[in-house]
Amino acid sequence: MSYYFTILSPTDTPLFNIAFGTSKGGGDGIARFRFPETAQYMNQFIIHSSLDILEEAQWTNGAMYLKHIDTYPPAAAYISAFLTPSGARFLLLHQPPHLPSSTSTGSGLGSSSLLGSAGSTTRASSSSVAANPTSPQTEEAVRQFMNEVYENYVKTAMSPFYKQGMEIKSPVFRTRVTAAGKKWL
Amino acid sequence: MVVYSFYIFDRHGKNPIFIAITQLTVSSGMHLQTPLATAPGLHLRSTDDDSKLVFGTVFSLRNMVRKLGGDDDRALLSFVSFTTSQYKLHYYETPTNTKFVMLTDLKSPSMRIALQQIYINLFVEYVVKNPLSPTEHTGGVGVNNELFEQSLEQFVL
Amino acid sequence: MSANKTSRIGEETRVDKVNAELVTLTYGTIVAQLCQDYDSDYQEVNKQLDKMGYNIGMRLIEDFLAKSGVGRCANFKETADMIAKVGFKIFLNVTPTVTNWASDNNQFSLIFEDNPLADFVELPDDGRAQDELWFSNILCGVLRGSLEMVQMQIEAHFVSDVLRGDETTEMRVSLVRYIEDEMPPEEE
Repeated sequence: MSYYFTILSPTDTPLFNIAFGTSKGGGDGIARFRFPETAQYMNQFIIHSSLDILEEAQWTNGAMYLKHIDTYPPAAAYISAFLTPSGARFLLLHQPPHLPSSTSTGSGLGSSSLLGSAGSTTRASSSSVAANPTSPQTEEAVRQFMNEVYENYVKTAMSPFYKQGMEIKSPVFRTRVTAAGKKWL
Repeated sequence: MVVYSFYIFDRHGKNPIFIAITQLTVSSGMHLQTPLATAPGLHLRSTDDDSKLVFGTVFSLRNMVRKLGGDDDRALLSFVSFTTSQYKLHYYETPTNTKFVMLTDLKSPSMRIALQQIYINLFVEYVVKNPLSPTEHTGGVGVNNELFEQSLEQFVL
Repeated sequence: MSANKTSRIGEETRVDKVNAELVTLTYGTIVAQLCQDYDSDYQEVNKQLDKMGYNIGMRLIEDFLAKSGVGRCANFKETADMIAKVGFKIFLNVTPTVTNWASDNNQFSLIFEDNPLADFVELPDDGRAQDELWFSNILCGVLRGSLEMVQMQIEAHFVSDVLRGDETTEMRVSLVRYIEDEMPPEEE
């Protein structure tokens, strides 16, 4: 499983981006998306395209964690969202690795076979979290991850030198998000 | 008990930062900042001269007490009061060298605790903690703080 | 005064409590605003913080004496203990460690394990703040101001700060001299 995590300000400015892979089930924590290295913008594109759905979903209930809200079938990308009360949105794109069976069907992106060795993908897919992006276990893991990132986000936003709406450059925050990813996903 | 007058000197001691003077018995009220003092036995002088004398006295007395007391804990040493045939002078000094002096009649008990309370509950609360009041009261304006004066009046009564 | 007694005064002195985040955010805002006002001239910001602390210290000492009820310290060692175990304890609820005494007993270091002023803080990464700004410099001023009121002229500065990536937060305090009593004005 590969992840792309983005924080967007209430005015849709991207504040923070990070890509990482699963560390569960022997994963090495390196992202292996189905796009070629040169097409990483696809992640951003997919994430941002889910904003409309997010804006509808945010009124359905009062919860901050909105679970899985959107899917982009061509890339098998799933989007989970988390809303802070102040309107910042945390979006997590997760993309299961190529399963041997899906390699042929996912040929919409021909170059995708360039990414990720077969060995590592099968290994990652054996984990329960990675196996099914919509399973309750995955939802729970993502919720824990979101909550941890939220805590750290609050701390970072409390720094007197951080201004609302400014890109989060803090290396400390990045490390902590990476750690949270390692811990839960 | 009768309180004749009350002075506060800051660490520079050039001018008293607060003076309250009364010749009335405490039960019938006290007037603050009255310019003339006529405690029995005190000569009629301007307040200014009076306060200089008072300061000079307590300053010398304090130094004398410290010298005689030896160097060991001279910092802790201070005199509490002295008595003349007509009045009793009570003295309290904080470690920041703010000096509180009160002149009362002979019958009054030790006012050391009272002066300490004035410092803790009134002076610190109303004067020091007032952000608009300067830390150094120079130029003879004094504390000039209504809340402090009122509370002091209540406290002494 | 024994060290134990000093810690006890620090423990037992009751003070009004205030929310720690409020203090942290207030102080952080002040520093950030100063940085902005002085166009990130951090030397100047340090100076201003020190000055503000000095003015606070001159008042705070009275409050300190009134609340703790302690008398004058017999020597500078006792003063250091008093600062760490009573002063910082009642006002910031931390107890820095007193250490690194100079051989003449006129210089010591305060090591802060925990600094409530600097919670959440990350210095701006403009390449200079890390080397020039002493975020908690107000504390130096507070010590300078309050000790001056009790007849000690001191010099205080930070030598390291965890915010800068150092191991510890350390403040160096050195006694310059004891201030003699001012003489009363001459009678003319």
